[in-house]
Amino acid sequence: MEAPPVTVMPVTGGTINMMEYLLQGSVLDQAMESLLHRLRGLCDNMEPENFTDHELVYVLKGQQGNPFILRARRSLSHPTSPWHLRYVGQPEVGDKSRHTLVRNCVDVAASHSLPDFLNEMGFRMDHEFVAGGYIFRKGAMKVLVSRVSRILVPGNTENTERVSSSYLVELSVLAPAGQDTVSEDMRSFAEQLKPLVHLEKIDPSKQRH
Amino acid sequence: MQQREEKQLEASVESLISRVAHVKTALHSFIYKLENEYERLMWPTVLDNFALLSGQLNTINKLLRNEKTPSFRNQVIIPLLLSPDRDEDLAKLTEQRLPVFSHEIVPDYLRTKPDPDVEEQEKQLTAEAARIGVEVAQKQIQALNKLCSSLLEKLNNPRDEREAESISLRQNKQYFNPADTNTLVGAVAFGKGLSKCRPPGPVAQGHPGPGTMMGGTSALQQATIGAGPVQQAGSVGPQQPGQQGKSQGELFILGLFPWVRETLLKPYINSTFKVAPDPCVSYINAITCI
Repeated sequence: MEAPPVTVMPVTGGTINMMEYLLQGSVLDQAMESLLHRLRGLCDNMEPENFTDHELVYVLKGQQGNPFILRARRSLSHPTSPWHLRYVGQPEVGDKSRHTLVRNCVDVAASHSLPDFLNEMGFRMDHEFVAGGYIFRKGAMKVLVSRVSRILVPGNTENTERVSSSYLVELSVLAPAGQDTVSEDMRSFAEQLKPLVHLEKIDPSKQRH
Repeated sequence: MQQREEKQLEASVESLISRVAHVKTALHSFIYKLENEYERLMWPTVLDNFALLSGQLNTINKLLRNEKTPSFRNQVIIPLLLSPDRDEDLAKLTEQRLPVFSHEIVPDYLRTKPDPDVEEQEKQLTAEAARIGVEVAQKQIQALNKLCSSLLEKLNNPRDEREAESISLRQNKQYFNPADTNTLVGAVAFGKGLSKCRPPGPVAQGHPGPGTMMGGTSALQQATIGAGPVQQAGSVGPQQPGQQGKSQGELFILGLFPWVRETLLKPYINSTFKVAPDPCVSYINAITCI
């Protein structure tokens, strides 16, 4: 049996060839309530959804030196829902005229045998963490306010410890490449969250040390 | 003499009617806006409408206070004819609000005194005022004046102080910590500060073993550090903003694919393709679509 034909060209028009526009920031625990109040007022008229997710980051080392990274996420509050497999490309910071970080992004839903499958393919888990908090939406914009915890005993999501005494705040939009209006909208939204949170494009290359 | 007065009265009534008509149209359009365009009505527009109304009411007040305007209070209106039948002229004049000039309606419309219950209340108040002595009244007036002046003082003077206070309070209070932002972003992006769980395998070779779990540099961190300059050197020309070139990961996955297909996916595709687990299919989709 022949292997299925492979298209090298990106598929256009689908949800696949999407870019993620991202702004990040954090808020101290004591200011969290005020931030939630403000987000409730600013975002679409809905109660924020709670979530608790377990993210496992898998690495595959190929012949070349660079590893290939996939992120697998599962909901701890809804154990029956599908896993979420995500590929995130190299982030582009751009110049000052671009207000947000832009990176390639592929999202796929997967079944519960995903970890086994990735292991079979040669992927190895690099690290894992638990993120829990609130999701807000405003149009296409998504706001995540989450508490990030490290897992003390590998695989045991009950036994965790917070990474810092702040909540991570992320503002993101999935859109096709080159949409300047998106980042413009995001910037004006981020402006409204000041001084509670300063959402910025954080260059990951400066985070490595 | 009388004729001149009559003329004056007529003229002033005319002008009063036209002014009132202006107020009416302004009110009309404002209410219409409030009821029909409230979704896109801006606050400045509402304020403009209020300003218009108050201006028109002011003109009416001025007109009434004008020396040339005869005192309307001195004019007496007597109902000459009351009839229970419908009066078309009257209805037209009052825009269908008052079709009949009957015994039932006249006492209400031509009333020159307040409502009976209001009158009753007024009487009670006057009685009460007469009951308390002059001294007590003076004391009460003084107390009220003192209260008012202290209240005014409180409202006027320290306003600036309070504003300055709240500004400094706002500036001093910290809502976020940039160091925490960096910690969190590093943890989520690279697993910095997270425990590393790498079972011994091909990936773990050449790296510190699982002994250095906390705070140890992960394979991912090390590799991405190396990836930075490589990508810069490898990319042809500066990248246009908005037009994203193929990132390192994508180049890698494209190069990886034949290998993946040959070595890893083959068993799935050949033998268990029909019962292959979902991720297999999703993964192929993901790879073929990039």
